[in-house]
Amino acid sequence: MNKVLFFAHLRDAVGEEFITIDASGRTVADLKQMVLEKYTSVNLENVMTAINEEFASDDDMIHEGSEIAFIPPVSGG
Amino acid sequence: MDERYSRQTLFSPIGKAGQEKIRSKHILMIGAGALGSGNAEILTRAGVGRLTIVDRDYVEASNLQRQQLYTEQDVEEKLPKAAAAAKRLRKINSDVEIEAVITDATPEKLEELIQGVDLIIDATDNFETRMAINDVSQKYQIPWIYGACVGSFGMSLTILPGKTPCLNCILKKIPIQGMTCDTGGIIAPTVQMVISHQSAEALKILVEDWEAVRTSFVSFDLWRNQYTSMKVSKAKDAGCLSCGENRTYPYLDSENMTKSTVLCGRDTVQIRPPRQQNIQLNDLSLQLKELGYKVKGNPYLLSVEIDEQRLVIFNDGRALIHGTNDLTQAKSIYQRLLG
Ligand SMILES: [Zn+2]
Repeated sequence: MNKVLFFAHLRDAVGEEFITIDASGRTVADLKQMVLEKYTSVNLENVMTAINEEFASDDDMIHEGSEIAFIPPVSGG
Repeated sequence: MDERYSRQTLFSPIGKAGQEKIRSKHILMIGAGALGSGNAEILTRAGVGRLTIVDRDYVEASNLQRQQLYTEQDVEEKLPKAAAAAKRLRKINSDVEIEAVITDATPEKLEELIQGVDLIIDATDNFETRMAINDVSQKYQIPWIYGACVGSFGMSLTILPGKTPCLNCILKKIPIQGMTCDTGGIIAPTVQMVISHQSAEALKILVEDWEAVRTSFVSFDLWRNQYTSMKVSKAKDAGCLSCGENRTYPYLDSENMTKSTVLCGRDTVQIRPPRQQNIQLNDLSLQLKELGYKVKGNPYLLSVEIDEQRLVIFNDGRALIHGTNDLTQAKSIYQRLLG
């Protein structure tokens, strides 16, 4: 299983700080698709993804037990 | 004046040698809103040699909750933020050479302002300017520090050209406006936390303690008690158009620059004339008054009321039209008043 964390407005859209989902053997793009199917109001288009606190691209593979975080870049200053 | 910086020089990673370095450096602060105010105050107190502050806006009442350099009097006088900030900072530390630049930080302007600068601090509120800062930083090999916040959520990243990935490596494109729009409000502690991250990084860079520079992308949520530090070295992309082998600096191309922009979450449109102008505000004020408009102003800007909207014009020809998100309506108001 994998823990998926949501930051900032993503957390509000999902309604949870994190969810647990089985994404092992899948890519980050696959996981985004899985999340979108479950939470239709979430927009993951511009978000950054971390796997175990390391920057990940859409085609990076997720392994069993890895923790994923979706972090949206914000612009306010 | 040695006494003045004694607590900072007692901090061993800085020391007397570090203080000398801080004194010899020039910082370019892009933006004088919440992050700009706080960073500028810390670095002015720290005794930086020279500080250039660039901002396109003027002080409004809704700024006072978190923009620490401004007062009710600045709001009353509708002072441009850069000018109000400089006035306050000069009172805080007369050792520091402070320069206020009241303008929009366009790519062209950034290339002009970066000459002789040692570090750029990002205190803007939009990604278009940040990507231009990112390109100018790569082109002239000057480090910059990204910082941003909304609500209780904030983030920061330090970019060292030639060492770390750049913002374009990480984001790949400008995030869609609206997704990052600051409609969610903001609390002052979030601002202060981002300022702490940015100004600590700034001090490390000023004293050239490169080993100490944070190489991760930090983000936090002070209300939800989340904190994460993402390692980004892997993100460095050899094909990146901003920092890669065949770089083109796409965001310095003014063709890509919007002439009019809806300012996020502010019910305001900014209009920028194709060429910089030099408007005699006094003459314009008289003309508009003769036409029956209600006009107020100061040496930097004029504020004109038109029905439900308010137009604020600066002497470089740039205008902010408050009370609308409609580009067409804003343009027609601009043309009606300025031809
Ligand atoms: Zn890059």
